[in-house]
Amino acid sequence: MLAFLTRRTIGAVITLLIIAAATFFLFFAVPADPARLACGKVCPPELLEQARRNLGLDAPVWEQFVAWLAGLVVGRDYEGLGHCPAPCLGYSFVNREPVLETILDRLPLTLSLTFGAAVFFLLFGVGAGVVAALRRGRPLDKIASVASLIGASVQIYFVGTLAMYFLVYQWQILDRPQYIPLTEDPIGWAYGLLLPWLVLSLIFTANYTRITRSTMVEQLSEDFVRTATAKGLPRRTVVTRFALRGTLIPVVTIFGVDLGSLIGGAIITETTFGLQGIGRLALRAVTDSDLPMLMATVLLAAAAIVVFSIIVDILYAVIDPRVRLS
Amino acid sequence: MTTATWTTEPPVRRGPGSFLAVRDLTVEFTTEDGVVRAVDGLSFDLEKGTTLGIVGESGSGKSVTSLSILGLHDPSTTTITGEIWLEDQELVSADRAVMERLRGNRVAMVFQDPLTALSPYHTVGRQIAETYRRHKGGSKREARERAIEMLKRVGIPQPHLRVDDYPHHFSGGMRQRAMIAMALVCDPDLLIADEPTTALDVTVQAQILDLLKELQQQTGMAVILITHDLGVVANTASEVLVMYAGRAVERGTVREVLREPRHPYTWGLLGSMPSLRSPVDVPLRPVRGTPPSLLAPPPGCPFHPRCDYVDVAGRELCTRERPVLTPETGHADACHLAPEDKRRLAPERRTDRKERA
Amino acid sequence: MTRRRRSFTAIAAIGVLAFAAACAPGNAGGGGSTAAPSASAPATDPNAFTPPKVTIGTAEDSKGPAPEPEGVVRGGTVTMIDRDDYAHLDPGQIYVNTESTVAQLYARGLTGYKRVGPNEYKLVGDLATDPGTPSDGGRTWTFTLKDGVRWEDGSPITSEDVKWTIERLFAPHITYGPTYIQQWLTGEEDYKKVYGGPYDGKRLDAIETPDEKTVVFHFKEPHADANFALAMTGYSIVPKAKDTKEKYDKQPVSSGPYRITEHTPDKSMVMERNPHWDPATDPIRGGYPDRWRFEFGQERLQITDRFIADAGEDKTAMSFYAWVAPERLQQVLNDKSLHSRMMRQPSPYGNYYYFNLDRVKDIKIRQAINIAWPTRQLQQLEGGPAASTISTTILNPVVAGWQDYDVFGMKAKPDGDIERAKQLMAESSDPNPTIVYAYNQTPTEERKTVVIKNQLAKIGINLVPKPLARKTYYDQISKVDNGFDMYWGGWGQDWPSGSTVFPVIFGPVREGGNNLSHLRDPEIDAEMKRILEMEDANEANAAWAALDKKIMETITPLVPDLNDVGTMLHGSRIGGAEIDPQSWTVSPNLIFVKPQ
Repeated sequence: MLAFLTRRTIGAVITLLIIAAATFFLFFAVPADPARLACGKVCPPELLEQARRNLGLDAPVWEQFVAWLAGLVVGRDYEGLGHCPAPCLGYSFVNREPVLETILDRLPLTLSLTFGAAVFFLLFGVGAGVVAALRRGRPLDKIASVASLIGASVQIYFVGTLAMYFLVYQWQILDRPQYIPLTEDPIGWAYGLLLPWLVLSLIFTANYTRITRSTMVEQLSEDFVRTATAKGLPRRTVVTRFALRGTLIPVVTIFGVDLGSLIGGAIITETTFGLQGIGRLALRAVTDSDLPMLMATVLLAAAAIVVFSIIVDILYAVIDPRVRLS
Repeated sequence: MTTATWTTEPPVRRGPGSFLAVRDLTVEFTTEDGVVRAVDGLSFDLEKGTTLGIVGESGSGKSVTSLSILGLHDPSTTTITGEIWLEDQELVSADRAVMERLRGNRVAMVFQDPLTALSPYHTVGRQIAETYRRHKGGSKREARERAIEMLKRVGIPQPHLRVDDYPHHFSGGMRQRAMIAMALVCDPDLLIADEPTTALDVTVQAQILDLLKELQQQTGMAVILITHDLGVVANTASEVLVMYAGRAVERGTVREVLREPRHPYTWGLLGSMPSLRSPVDVPLRPVRGTPPSLLAPPPGCPFHPRCDYVDVAGRELCTRERPVLTPETGHADACHLAPEDKRRLAPERRTDRKERA
Repeated sequence: MTRRRRSFTAIAAIGVLAFAAACAPGNAGGGGSTAAPSASAPATDPNAFTPPKVTIGTAEDSKGPAPEPEGVVRGGTVTMIDRDDYAHLDPGQIYVNTESTVAQLYARGLTGYKRVGPNEYKLVGDLATDPGTPSDGGRTWTFTLKDGVRWEDGSPITSEDVKWTIERLFAPHITYGPTYIQQWLTGEEDYKKVYGGPYDGKRLDAIETPDEKTVVFHFKEPHADANFALAMTGYSIVPKAKDTKEKYDKQPVSSGPYRITEHTPDKSMVMERNPHWDPATDPIRGGYPDRWRFEFGQERLQITDRFIADAGEDKTAMSFYAWVAPERLQQVLNDKSLHSRMMRQPSPYGNYYYFNLDRVKDIKIRQAINIAWPTRQLQQLEGGPAASTISTTILNPVVAGWQDYDVFGMKAKPDGDIERAKQLMAESSDPNPTIVYAYNQTPTEERKTVVIKNQLAKIGINLVPKPLARKTYYDQISKVDNGFDMYWGGWGQDWPSGSTVFPVIFGPVREGGNNLSHLRDPEIDAEMKRILEMEDANEANAAWAALDKKIMETITPLVPDLNDVGTMLHGSRIGGAEIDPQSWTVSPNLIFVKPQ
């Protein structure tokens, strides 16, 4: 296990380094000039050059990358803005706010959104999938499959906007979604994010229902599940301890991917509900050519995916003893 | 468990007297293409301490019969009629709670492929102990001790170590031994072994059969041994039931059926069985043709399209009328051939084979 | 007081999806440019919008307090909702219109615009006692500070602060704000080369402070409208004693009615009363509410829905710049119950389809294209007359002195006069030319391009569309050797005078410059120089208007594009809300909270 973790951590760091370098150099491959965005309406070449110097864009690209990497490890000094201690992700090109602080400020919302929604779509998705598999061909199964088809085909900006329009603005059943830190007010936290959770889980649930149902149907016809029944184990035990166990493998696989990408940013959800998370930071970073912010959001998204892939691999081994961590 | 109605107060039932009595058992599956009658009016009896071998090709209904004793079919697609009596308990109409108490406890089952039949997610010890705790109660420690004891009994070396292994750590034969240990952990009265050796190496097959025989002698349980291999039956069973297309076509003691087979299908099965005494260059003669579709079984005798003796018995009769298993007790068969023809033709077929060689 | 056209184009051409529009600050979206199609749009008379009148006020006009709107009430909290937070709060770094608008609340300049009535504005002294006194033919400008003007810490605002404010704009970290005054003071385009800011102790001699109240600017050339230039937010003042350089962008010191008490970037901001602001000194700002709450991060669609619902706290909410989302525009225009809370205003910018005069050399072809231009069809794609008005001049109607004309009959024949255009083409050097047309690759622009291509085909022109990526659009078309014949561009004046339009869009041709049509005409250059040197602003304005028409008639360097009409809503308990015709944002100066 320790060897596995060590090896995977090294692999992850190398992956992230490659992604960082690729992002950094690709950023400069695009002809859009971030210095122009920091230069006024009338932007004579001299002012543009000054803006470029102020952003540290005047050095060769590889030198900039090394400086960025060094900032991450040992910190970095910025003229006028002061020392940025390690791990330094720099200052935003747009509003000169420290990137790390901004990321840390948005992360709790993104994590709350991700894990809150995950609880819902796991419960609903796997639950509905299990029920559908057990009631195969019966009305409940058909309802679940129709619901999952609808869920799979709707878009967040459509459902979300509709939900906001009616539930929040027209009927005023719910308050406008907002983020209240969990530590401050757990009830307010849950209430403030309820709508985004539900809408987000609506989209994801469908996938989990479908995969759980089909895998569960397969698992239920497995010999060892029949053996469990033949041993006299109650139905509930057979389903939860035996059939569900194998069903968890594909569920965990997509769950890892989904969580990873959600932490990278639920751009549409955040936008629809007016929440300030990582997703909108990332979107803004791209449209504003905000390199330090872009690097941070890309790395966070990549790190989330890499970390969850390691967790998923560990979970495989936990679920299925035939899997070895190698 | 099936369409049978569930009554709140089960009436006092009296079985037909045998330990296990199956009466007019019919099992139908609803499929997309129509209704498949996998078992059609099957009846048989079994006494404690004896072994019944049920023989037939795949699709003959032998496995379906064994599964219906334990009520292991999917109730939503299966219709079961008839009666299965285990002493004074009728099983077809029994409710789920009754069946759950029965399974693994009074009636246990050993499946064909121990690799797939054992859960890959749990240790062997846990799978055995779980059955024990479910029916006999007791602490985890006691159940674990019992599991080790059972592993020892089925001949697994170092059972106190192997108890924590997963099935994939075991060899094929060891797995089947573990499976048997699990089936016998509650000292069942009836063990159903569904092709217990088919998936195993030939050398291991004999060991497992010997183990089963030995354990039966120790416990005095009844055994139903399902196989397509008459050779297995010859060594293990006391009685034989030959099934074809969901029906019993021949029944009797091992001696009766193997010495004086009466049904052309039984002759075919015997002909396809390799024998140590036969010369190696003699080709085996499998029964020609393929098993009939159970969706639309042939009219009359279901075996007639594959039978070489239709003209002897009368084509008209064989294609129109379905033969009944007669007589009601003892060595019986379901064939339109006249008794003297059965006697005359059976040995001929054996000599036939030699002559042709 | 305008936003960068670069940002504007970006948005004007983005798709209608709200999230797709999430981009740079100041890109909050332009009016109805992405409006939903609307065959049933209520016919809006384009002449319903009267151009504002801007005149120069007197010392009397410059006295506070600001004229009160009808029914004004003091107190309460106003919520300002918009998508983007402000990237800059340091006045020296402000050019974007939303930032200029918010700066009205905490930053004052020497001069400013005072609303004296509907569509009527006066340039008055803000911190100065009057809008300035020119001398030496406009080379020297003298301002005197009012008594009783103070910083938020109670210290008086002095002439030294004003001098410092201008000097610090030469420092390296200031790159975003306006550059006029710096260039005028030094006579250099690259003014930072001459002077590097006051932080190392060096001072700028061109600004004199004979006493605590008096500031004298010495320009190298005459500048009749220096007092207009100084009204730009970029020249709002910064206290010498509290200047924290780069960090000032985060914590500006207030000279206005409010001071910033809380700010979580991109999320929220709170402004409370500045106790040292004296309304008696301020002719421009009412400062009626006790508190301003800013809420950032909502898209236009959500903000529109909140205003429509008008529930709870949103009754006292407004936005500086969140236009009604295109998806809701028809609903809002048709719902009479919303009209008491609806504000509409055409944009103050000039939008053009420039010809590259280096390539499209025949004026007959340029004029034929103007004559054949499918104005009405393009207007339909923009959302109909409710979302845009037809413009036929180079100057926007909000520019002082603007004179309407229609030399190519765009208003008379909005579908294009094919016959007349064909005639002109027949007389031209090439009756079947190929025109390479570069455009921003967005759904709306794609559709417009098809319309233009089909229309020009009717007069024998082969239009070759060249889609460009949104991010690099301006970088590509502003190359001197761009390889295109025609492309869209916009410009917004910095104060309502032709002097910040013509000398820019027909100024020097250079890489990344603003003369997109590459017009180089000695006669026009001389005329521009002559007008710039005029001492009388009214005379100059009239001359700019005449030049406008002359350029279109004799050179025809562009096709005037439609002018977007912006529509905004506000909460029902907000009073004094109006879209300022110059900044195209809702002015905070006269906002008040109505009682329950």
